Amino acid sequence: MDNTNIKILLVDDESDFTQPMSFWLKSKGYSVLVAPSGEDAIKIIKEQPVDIIFMDLNMPVMDGVTTVKKIREFNNTVPIIIISAYVDDKRISEATNYGISGVFYKGEDFQAGLALLESALRTHKQLKK
Amino acid sequence: MESSPFIIYVTAAVVGIVIAILLTYIARLSAQAKINADKKAKKQNYLSENILSDADIKKTLYEEINEALASSARAQEVTNRISDIFAQEVQKRIGIKEQEISKKYETVIKEKSINEEIAWKKYKKVLAEKKSTDAVIRSIAEGLIVVDSKGKVIMMNPAAQRLLGASGKDKIGKPISENLKEEQLISLVKTSKDEENKEIELVSQEDETKKVIRASSAVIESEDGETVGMVSVLSDITKQRELDRMKSAFVASVSHELRTPLVAIEKSISLILDRTTGPITENQEQFLSIAQRNLKRLTHLINDLLDLSKLEAGKMSFSPAPDSVEKIIDESIEGLFTWANTKSISIQRNISSGLPEVNVDHNRIVQVLVNLIGNAIKFTPHNGVITVSAGLSAEGDSIEISVKDTGIGIPPEHLDKVFDKFYQVSERSVTDITGTGIGLSIAKEIVQWHGGKIWAESEKGMGAKFTFTLPLRK
Repeated sequence: MDNTNIKILLVDDESDFTQPMSFWLKSKGYSVLVAPSGEDAIKIIKEQPVDIIFMDLNMPVMDGVTTVKKIREFNNTVPIIIISAYVDDKRISEATNYGISGVFYKGEDFQAGLALLESALRTHKQLKK
Repeated sequence: MESSPFIIYVTAAVVGIVIAILLTYIARLSAQAKINADKKAKKQNYLSENILSDADIKKTLYEEINEALASSARAQEVTNRISDIFAQEVQKRIGIKEQEISKKYETVIKEKSINEEIAWKKYKKVLAEKKSTDAVIRSIAEGLIVVDSKGKVIMMNPAAQRLLGASGKDKIGKPISENLKEEQLISLVKTSKDEENKEIELVSQEDETKKVIRASSAVIESEDGETVGMVSVLSDITKQRELDRMKSAFVASVSHELRTPLVAIEKSISLILDRTTGPITENQEQFLSIAQRNLKRLTHLINDLLDLSKLEAGKMSFSPAPDSVEKIIDESIEGLFTWANTKSISIQRNISSGLPEVNVDHNRIVQVLVNLIGNAIKFTPHNGVITVSAGLSAEGDSIEISVKDTGIGIPPEHLDKVFDKFYQVSERSVTDITGTGIGLSIAKEIVQWHGGKIWAESEKGMGAKFTFTLPLRK
């Protein structure tokens, strides 16, 4: 399957996570952009359209929830998957209020992240139709 | 005309006699008037000075009226009539007065009985409240002891009796120090305001088992601020203690078990990374480096957990020796320069000259500083500044070392909690460089072992300042 047309934005300040994750997603044929902060993510989305976003909640200065909220102010359709290290993170329900497509826990296998991504993209495609 | 002189003489004599008689009569009248006036005055005085009986009044009236009417029969009749009217009038007035008095008395009695009824109702209400409070105190699981200002037990609930293996009846009204076993309790009674919670170990008389009791005491003050006694709440924390001990033993054992495979993985990766096993690609190197870095992070976490369990169990070994604060700070900063440079953060030092040496475990204090400076680097954005300062405390009895950053800061409500194990400020974690959330707990334990204090100051968005003290040798 050719996924090169699908552009994923990976937002996380921990490069030890984004490096292997982006490498793996690229190995599955996707185009991957990495933003180390919420501010960088907003800048990238404003400059070029992305198909789906992986958003970490735990980031300095602008956390994931605030970034999602700000993105929704100008883009209400792009699917966002939350990344969290904590299963019982209270901020997940907060982020849900702004519309998210799923939650990927850092302890899980990357394969689970890929399944979430494919499902979100399918739903988005159907909604577009 | 011979008889004329005689007549004149006789006439003169008669006139002389008449004049003499008249003078005598006048003298007698004036004497009688004086006597009457004296009598009247005397009677007036008597009347005004004495409270007269009815008979006296009647008699006096008789006399007065008789005098006035010169004792004729009519006068007697009038006198009797007046006396009767007077007597009736007096009787009537007495009757009215009596009625007034009894009316007033009735009102007073009525008011009194109403007040008594209210007081009784209040008493019954207070009694019911007291009974319900007593029932609550009796049934609470925590032990409760109240002592007066002289140390005598005023109240002791059944839970306290159970915990102390004592009967309340034996103790109430007696000084708390009466039995040997209560010696520990004297210390709890003497608890100072700084030390509101105490843990005391008791050997129960009944089952001879050791109990650990936590006593939370508070001074009871009257409305005018006078100390009237002390109330202590006793909780049996024997099981909690045992669980804590088991948890520490578990963490220590698991951490040891984890370290062995970690070392194996770390060594194997190192062998590949340093090309001992042959050439590797750029990607292989990139990901093996990440693996190695995170293995170090995991090792750090396990070491922290081990340290904390040792510190909590009092099994951490310390080797204190006289040391230079400047040397400790320099060594701590040195190991973190590379990391700070990756974020273009400058670490500045501001150390007072001529500081005396401190008696500390060098490696442990370096560990504290690495934790604090590491946290500062983690939460300071690019191009920030971290200042490590050291100087003599205001009292001159210790050295104060602080680490200040220009990072995101800590909200004031979280300041006293950042030293709690695994504590996280909601928006983001305030953890140490390893992200375990126990670095600050370890730092606190180490500083406290040295007899020092550690605290945090911050305003959200204005950076944070962590300070700890190291006491000077006396």
